[in-house]
Amino acid sequence: MNLWQALFMGLLQGASELFPVSSLGHAVLLPSLLRWSFRQSDPSFVPFLVLLHLGTATALLVLYRAQWVAIIGGFFTAAVRGRMTTDSERLAMLLLAGTIPAAVLGVFLESRIKSLFASPYEAAGFLILNGFLMLGFEFLRRRRERGASREEQESHFALAEGISFRAAALVGACQALAFLPGISRSGITIGGGLLAGLRHQEAARFSFLLATPVILGAGLVEVPELFKQGVPVAEYLAAAVLAGIAAYASARFLLRYFRSGRLDPYGAYCIAAGLVSMALLHFNP
Amino acid sequence: MTRSNTVAAALGVIGVVFLIVAALYALGVLQIATSTTSGPHYKHAILFVVLAVASFVAANFARPKTA
Repeated sequence: MNLWQALFMGLLQGASELFPVSSLGHAVLLPSLLRWSFRQSDPSFVPFLVLLHLGTATALLVLYRAQWVAIIGGFFTAAVRGRMTTDSERLAMLLLAGTIPAAVLGVFLESRIKSLFASPYEAAGFLILNGFLMLGFEFLRRRRERGASREEQESHFALAEGISFRAAALVGACQALAFLPGISRSGITIGGGLLAGLRHQEAARFSFLLATPVILGAGLVEVPELFKQGVPVAEYLAAAVLAGIAAYASARFLLRYFRSGRLDPYGAYCIAAGLVSMALLHFNP
Repeated sequence: MTRSNTVAAALGVIGVVFLIVAALYALGVLQIATSTTSGPHYKHAILFVVLAVASFVAANFARPKTA
Protein backbone atom coordinates (compact mmCIF):
# COMPACT_ATOMS: atom_id res chain seq x y z
CA MET A 1 0.00 0.00 0.00
CA ASN A 2 1.47 3.33 -0.99
CA LEU A 3 1.02 6.63 0.88
CA TRP A 4 -1.88 7.85 -1.27
CA GLN A 5 -3.73 4.58 -0.93
CA ALA A 6 -3.17 4.68 2.85
CA LEU A 7 -4.49 8.24 3.04
CA PHE A 8 -7.50 7.34 0.90
CA MET A 9 -8.30 4.35 3.11
CA GLY A 10 -7.88 6.52 6.23
CA LEU A 11 -10.29 9.11 4.87
CA LEU A 12 -12.74 6.40 3.82
CA GLN A 13 -12.59 4.60 7.16
CA GLY A 14 -12.94 7.79 9.22
CA ALA A 15 -15.76 9.18 7.12
CA SER A 16 -17.76 5.97 6.80
CA GLU A 17 -17.23 4.45 10.29
CA LEU A 18 -19.94 6.60 11.87
CA PHE A 19 -22.29 6.89 8.88
CA PRO A 20 -24.83 4.03 8.74
CA VAL A 21 -23.27 2.70 5.53
CA SER A 22 -20.62 0.20 6.80
CA SER A 23 -16.98 1.30 6.70
CA LEU A 24 -15.85 -2.33 6.50
CA GLY A 25 -18.09 -2.99 3.51
CA HIS A 26 -16.68 0.04 1.69
CA ALA A 27 -13.12 -0.89 2.67
CA VAL A 28 -13.61 -4.36 1.18
CA LEU A 29 -15.46 -3.18 -1.93
CA LEU A 30 -13.55 -0.07 -3.03
CA PRO A 31 -10.03 -1.57 -3.22
CA SER A 32 -11.49 -4.40 -5.30
CA LEU A 33 -13.34 -2.04 -7.62
CA LEU A 34 -10.21 0.15 -7.93
CA ARG A 35 -8.15 -3.02 -8.52
CA TRP A 36 -5.81 -2.41 -5.59
CA SER A 37 -3.95 -5.52 -4.61
CA PHE A 38 -4.24 -5.47 -0.80
CA ARG A 39 -7.06 -7.17 1.11
CA GLN A 40 -8.60 -6.43 4.50
CA SER A 41 -8.22 -10.09 5.48
CA ASP A 42 -4.44 -9.94 4.97
CA PRO A 43 -2.58 -10.16 8.36
CA SER A 44 -0.28 -7.28 7.28
CA PHE A 45 -3.35 -5.05 7.15
CA VAL A 46 -3.97 -5.40 10.93
CA PRO A 47 -1.54 -2.67 12.12
CA PHE A 48 -3.11 -0.27 9.63
CA LEU A 49 -6.61 -0.97 10.92
CA VAL A 50 -5.36 -0.59 14.51
CA LEU A 51 -4.22 2.97 13.88
CA LEU A 52 -7.34 3.89 11.91
CA HIS A 53 -9.51 2.63 14.77
CA LEU A 54 -7.45 4.57 17.30
CA GLY A 55 -7.84 7.69 15.13
CA THR A 56 -11.63 7.27 15.00
CA ALA A 57 -11.89 6.50 18.73
CA THR A 58 -9.79 9.58 19.55
CA ALA A 59 -12.15 11.73 17.47
CA LEU A 60 -15.15 10.37 19.41
CA LEU A 61 -13.39 10.91 22.73
CA VAL A 62 -12.62 14.52 21.76
CA LEU A 63 -16.20 15.11 20.58
CA TYR A 64 -17.72 13.77 23.81
CA ARG A 65 -14.84 14.66 26.16
CA ALA A 66 -17.03 16.33 28.80
CA GLN A 67 -19.54 13.48 28.71
CA TRP A 68 -16.81 10.85 28.99
CA VAL A 69 -15.36 12.56 32.06
CA ALA A 70 -18.84 12.47 33.62
CA ILE A 71 -19.44 8.86 32.47
CA ILE A 72 -16.12 7.56 33.85
CA GLY A 73 -16.65 9.43 37.12
CA GLY A 74 -20.23 8.15 37.24
CA PHE A 75 -19.08 4.58 36.66
CA PHE A 76 -16.69 4.58 39.61
CA THR A 77 -19.15 6.39 41.89
CA ALA A 78 -22.00 3.99 41.08
CA ALA A 79 -19.76 0.92 41.18
CA VAL A 80 -18.44 1.76 44.66
CA ARG A 81 -21.81 2.90 46.02
CA GLY A 82 -23.76 0.06 44.42
CA ARG A 83 -26.51 2.46 43.41
CA MET A 84 -27.24 4.83 40.49
CA THR A 85 -28.45 8.28 41.40
CA THR A 86 -27.51 10.51 38.44
CA ASP A 87 -27.97 10.36 34.65
CA SER A 88 -24.21 10.00 34.14
CA GLU A 89 -24.07 7.01 36.48
CA ARG A 90 -26.99 5.34 34.68
CA LEU A 91 -25.47 6.08 31.27
CA ALA A 92 -22.14 4.58 32.41
CA MET A 93 -23.87 1.36 33.44
CA LEU A 94 -25.96 1.29 30.23
CA LEU A 95 -22.77 1.59 28.17
CA LEU A 96 -21.20 -1.23 30.20
CA ALA A 97 -24.30 -3.38 29.59
CA GLY A 98 -24.13 -2.59 25.87
CA THR A 99 -20.38 -3.06 25.51
CA ILE A 100 -20.02 -6.46 27.20
CA PRO A 101 -22.06 -8.50 24.65
CA ALA A 102 -20.22 -6.79 21.79
CA ALA A 103 -16.84 -7.45 23.43
CA VAL A 104 -17.61 -11.13 24.11
CA LEU A 105 -18.86 -11.75 20.57
CA GLY A 106 -15.99 -9.68 19.14
CA VAL A 107 -13.23 -11.61 20.90
CA PHE A 108 -14.66 -15.04 20.12
CA LEU A 109 -16.19 -14.53 16.68
CA GLU A 110 -14.81 -11.47 14.89
CA SER A 111 -11.78 -12.96 13.11
CA ARG A 112 -13.72 -16.08 12.08
CA ILE A 113 -16.66 -14.11 10.67
CA LYS A 114 -14.41 -11.64 8.87
CA SER A 115 -12.35 -14.40 7.25
CA LEU A 116 -15.53 -16.26 6.21
CA PHE A 117 -17.16 -13.25 4.55
CA ALA A 118 -14.23 -11.25 3.18
CA SER A 119 -15.07 -11.32 -0.53
CA PRO A 120 -16.33 -8.19 -2.36
CA TYR A 121 -19.44 -10.06 -3.59
CA GLU A 122 -20.46 -10.86 -0.03
CA ALA A 123 -19.73 -7.28 1.06
CA ALA A 124 -21.99 -5.99 -1.72
CA GLY A 125 -24.72 -8.44 -0.68
CA PHE A 126 -24.52 -7.43 2.97
CA LEU A 127 -24.51 -3.75 1.96
CA ILE A 128 -27.87 -4.33 0.22
CA LEU A 129 -29.12 -6.14 3.34
CA ASN A 130 -27.90 -3.18 5.46
CA GLY A 131 -29.97 -0.86 3.27
CA PHE A 132 -33.11 -2.91 3.84
CA LEU A 133 -32.38 -2.98 7.58
CA MET A 134 -32.18 0.85 7.67
CA LEU A 135 -35.49 1.12 5.79
CA GLY A 136 -36.97 -1.54 8.10
CA PHE A 137 -35.95 0.37 11.25
CA GLU A 138 -37.64 3.51 9.92
CA PHE A 139 -40.74 1.54 8.89
CA LEU A 140 -41.08 0.02 12.37
CA ARG A 141 -40.51 3.38 14.07
CA ARG A 142 -43.14 5.08 11.90
CA ARG A 143 -45.66 2.26 12.44
CA ARG A 144 -45.23 2.52 16.21
CA GLU A 145 -45.63 6.31 16.18
CA ARG A 146 -48.58 6.33 13.78
CA GLY A 147 -51.20 5.57 16.41
CA ALA A 148 -49.67 7.76 19.12
CA SER A 149 -50.67 11.35 19.82
CA ARG A 150 -48.09 14.13 19.72
CA GLU A 151 -48.00 14.19 23.53
CA GLU A 152 -47.44 10.43 23.67
CA GLN A 153 -44.65 10.72 21.11
CA GLU A 154 -43.04 13.54 23.10
CA SER A 155 -43.31 11.54 26.31
CA HIS A 156 -41.14 8.77 24.86
CA PHE A 157 -37.60 8.69 26.16
CA ALA A 158 -35.96 11.99 25.35
CA LEU A 159 -32.50 10.91 26.49
CA ALA A 160 -30.41 7.79 25.98
CA GLU A 161 -30.13 7.57 29.78
CA GLY A 162 -33.81 6.55 29.83
CA ILE A 163 -33.62 3.26 27.92
CA SER A 164 -33.76 -0.07 29.71
CA PHE A 165 -30.71 -2.22 30.45
CA ARG A 166 -32.19 -5.03 28.37
CA ALA A 167 -32.49 -2.68 25.38
CA ALA A 168 -28.91 -1.43 25.90
CA ALA A 169 -27.58 -5.01 26.02
CA LEU A 170 -29.57 -5.97 22.90
CA VAL A 171 -28.38 -2.92 20.96
CA GLY A 172 -24.82 -3.70 22.10
CA ALA A 173 -25.08 -7.34 21.03
CA CYS A 174 -26.37 -6.27 17.61
CA GLN A 175 -23.01 -4.55 17.06
CA ALA A 176 -21.64 -8.03 16.42
CA LEU A 177 -23.56 -8.04 13.12
CA ALA A 178 -21.16 -5.33 11.97
CA PHE A 179 -18.39 -7.97 11.75
CA LEU A 180 -20.11 -8.84 8.48
CA PRO A 181 -18.63 -6.50 5.86
CA GLY A 182 -21.52 -4.40 4.59
CA ILE A 183 -23.50 -4.29 7.85
CA SER A 184 -23.05 -0.95 9.61
CA ARG A 185 -22.32 -0.82 13.33
CA SER A 186 -23.70 2.69 13.71
CA GLY A 187 -26.71 1.85 11.52
CA ILE A 188 -27.59 -1.16 13.65
CA THR A 189 -27.16 0.72 16.93
CA ILE A 190 -29.02 3.84 15.76
CA GLY A 191 -31.83 1.59 14.47
CA GLY A 192 -31.83 -0.34 17.76
CA GLY A 193 -32.00 2.96 19.65
CA LEU A 194 -35.00 4.03 17.55
CA LEU A 195 -36.78 0.76 18.35
CA ALA A 196 -35.96 1.30 22.04
CA GLY A 197 -37.88 4.58 21.84
CA LEU A 198 -35.11 7.12 21.28
CA ARG A 199 -35.28 10.01 18.84
CA HIS A 200 -32.81 10.00 15.96
CA GLN A 201 -30.36 12.47 17.49
CA GLU A 202 -30.34 10.67 20.86
CA ALA A 203 -30.05 7.29 19.13
CA ALA A 204 -27.01 8.63 17.23
CA ARG A 205 -25.46 9.96 20.46
CA PHE A 206 -25.99 6.60 22.20
CA SER A 207 -24.57 4.82 19.14
CA PHE A 208 -21.41 6.96 19.11
CA LEU A 209 -20.90 6.61 22.88
CA LEU A 210 -21.42 2.84 22.60
CA ALA A 211 -18.98 2.62 19.68
CA THR A 212 -16.15 4.41 21.49
CA PRO A 213 -15.07 1.67 23.94
CA VAL A 214 -15.53 -1.03 21.28
CA ILE A 215 -13.47 0.80 18.63
CA LEU A 216 -10.87 1.92 21.20
CA GLY A 217 -10.63 -1.56 22.68
CA ALA A 218 -10.34 -3.21 19.27
CA GLY A 219 -7.49 -0.83 18.49
CA LEU A 220 -5.64 -1.02 21.81
CA VAL A 221 -5.52 -4.83 22.05
CA GLU A 222 -3.76 -4.95 18.67
CA VAL A 223 -1.18 -2.22 19.45
CA PRO A 224 1.69 -4.79 19.70
CA GLU A 225 1.13 -5.45 15.96
CA LEU A 226 2.51 -1.95 15.30
CA PHE A 227 5.94 -2.88 16.59
CA LYS A 228 6.45 -5.75 14.18
CA GLN A 229 9.19 -5.30 11.61
CA GLY A 230 8.35 -3.71 8.28
CA VAL A 231 5.33 -1.74 9.44
CA PRO A 232 5.43 1.76 7.83
CA VAL A 233 4.27 3.50 10.99
CA ALA A 234 4.69 7.07 9.63
CA GLU A 235 2.41 6.45 6.63
CA TYR A 236 -0.12 4.65 8.78
CA LEU A 237 -0.04 7.46 11.37
CA ALA A 238 -0.79 10.04 8.67
CA ALA A 239 -3.76 7.95 7.56
CA ALA A 240 -4.93 7.61 11.18
CA VAL A 241 -4.84 11.39 11.69
CA LEU A 242 -6.89 11.80 8.52
CA ALA A 243 -9.32 9.11 9.74
CA GLY A 244 -9.68 10.95 13.05
CA ILE A 245 -10.40 14.29 11.37
CA ALA A 246 -12.91 12.67 9.00
CA ALA A 247 -14.60 10.83 11.88
CA TYR A 248 -14.88 14.02 13.93
CA ALA A 249 -16.38 15.93 10.98
CA SER A 250 -18.80 13.11 10.12
CA ALA A 251 -19.96 12.77 13.75
CA ARG A 252 -20.64 16.52 13.93
CA PHE A 253 -22.50 16.36 10.63
CA LEU A 254 -24.58 13.34 11.66
CA LEU A 255 -25.60 14.81 15.02
CA ARG A 256 -26.84 17.90 13.18
CA TYR A 257 -28.43 15.82 10.38
CA PHE A 258 -30.36 13.60 12.81
CA ARG A 259 -32.13 16.60 14.39
CA SER A 260 -34.61 16.17 11.56
CA GLY A 261 -33.03 13.62 9.19
CA ARG A 262 -33.89 9.93 8.92
CA LEU A 263 -32.13 6.65 8.10
CA ASP A 264 -34.03 6.15 4.80
CA PRO A 265 -31.57 8.01 2.51
CA TYR A 266 -28.71 5.87 3.83
CA GLY A 267 -30.81 2.75 3.32
CA ALA A 268 -31.47 3.73 -0.28
CA TYR A 269 -27.77 4.57 -0.79
CA CYS A 270 -26.67 1.17 0.58
CA ILE A 271 -29.06 -0.73 -1.69
CA ALA A 272 -27.96 1.28 -4.73
CA ALA A 273 -24.24 1.05 -3.88
CA GLY A 274 -24.53 -2.70 -3.27
CA LEU A 275 -26.33 -3.30 -6.57
CA VAL A 276 -23.91 -1.12 -8.56
CA SER A 277 -20.92 -2.85 -6.92
CA MET A 278 -22.34 -6.28 -7.72
CA ALA A 279 -22.88 -5.27 -11.34
CA LEU A 280 -19.34 -3.85 -11.62
CA LEU A 281 -17.82 -6.94 -10.04
CA HIS A 282 -19.86 -9.22 -12.30
CA PHE A 283 -19.34 -7.45 -15.64
CA ASN A 284 -15.80 -6.25 -14.95
CA PRO A 285 -14.23 -9.18 -13.01
CA MET B 1 -32.60 -5.88 40.28
CA THR B 2 -33.05 -8.51 43.00
CA ARG B 3 -31.18 -7.43 46.11
CA SER B 4 -29.98 -10.32 48.26
CA ASN B 5 -26.77 -11.47 49.84
CA THR B 6 -27.02 -14.82 48.01
CA VAL B 7 -27.17 -13.16 44.58
CA ALA B 8 -24.33 -10.83 45.56
CA ALA B 9 -22.18 -13.74 46.74
CA ALA B 10 -22.91 -15.72 43.57
CA LEU B 11 -21.91 -12.78 41.39
CA GLY B 12 -18.75 -12.34 43.46
CA VAL B 13 -17.83 -16.00 42.94
CA ILE B 14 -18.47 -15.64 39.18
CA GLY B 15 -16.16 -12.62 39.21
CA VAL B 16 -13.39 -14.64 40.87
CA VAL B 17 -13.87 -17.44 38.30
CA PHE B 18 -13.56 -14.87 35.49
CA LEU B 19 -10.31 -13.59 37.04
CA ILE B 20 -8.91 -17.12 37.15
CA VAL B 21 -9.90 -17.72 33.51
CA ALA B 22 -8.26 -14.39 32.58
CA ALA B 23 -5.03 -15.48 34.29
CA LEU B 24 -5.10 -18.84 32.52
CA TYR B 25 -5.53 -17.15 29.12
CA ALA B 26 -2.74 -14.66 29.91
CA LEU B 27 -0.38 -17.48 30.90
CA GLY B 28 -1.24 -19.49 27.78
CA VAL B 29 -2.64 -22.41 29.79
CA LEU B 30 -6.16 -22.03 28.39
CA GLN B 31 -6.54 -22.41 24.60
CA ILE B 32 -10.34 -22.68 24.28
CA ALA B 33 -11.92 -20.69 21.41
CA THR B 34 -8.65 -19.10 20.30
CA SER B 35 -7.30 -18.59 16.80
CA THR B 36 -3.90 -20.11 17.62
CA THR B 37 -3.27 -23.21 19.72
CA SER B 38 -0.23 -22.02 21.68
CA GLY B 39 0.98 -18.99 23.59
CA PRO B 40 -0.78 -16.39 25.73
CA HIS B 41 -4.05 -14.83 24.58
CA TYR B 42 -4.09 -11.31 25.99
CA LYS B 43 -7.25 -10.27 24.13
CA HIS B 44 -9.20 -13.07 25.82
CA ALA B 45 -7.53 -12.28 29.16
CA ILE B 46 -8.54 -8.60 28.98
CA LEU B 47 -12.10 -9.60 28.12
CA PHE B 48 -12.34 -11.84 31.19
CA VAL B 49 -10.88 -9.11 33.43
CA VAL B 50 -13.62 -6.78 32.13
CA LEU B 51 -16.23 -9.50 32.80
CA ALA B 52 -14.82 -9.95 36.31
CA VAL B 53 -15.07 -6.20 36.99
CA ALA B 54 -18.65 -6.20 35.69
CA SER B 55 -19.49 -9.14 37.95
CA PHE B 56 -18.06 -7.40 41.02
CA VAL B 57 -19.98 -4.22 40.16
CA ALA B 58 -23.18 -6.26 39.72
CA ALA B 59 -22.46 -8.01 43.06
CA ASN B 60 -22.19 -4.62 44.77
CA PHE B 61 -25.49 -3.55 43.18
CA ALA B 62 -27.16 -6.78 44.33
CA ARG B 63 -26.02 -6.36 47.95
CA PRO B 64 -28.88 -5.22 50.22
CA LYS B 65 -28.31 -1.62 51.30
CA THR B 66 -28.99 -0.24 54.73
CA ALA B 67 -31.13 2.91 54.60
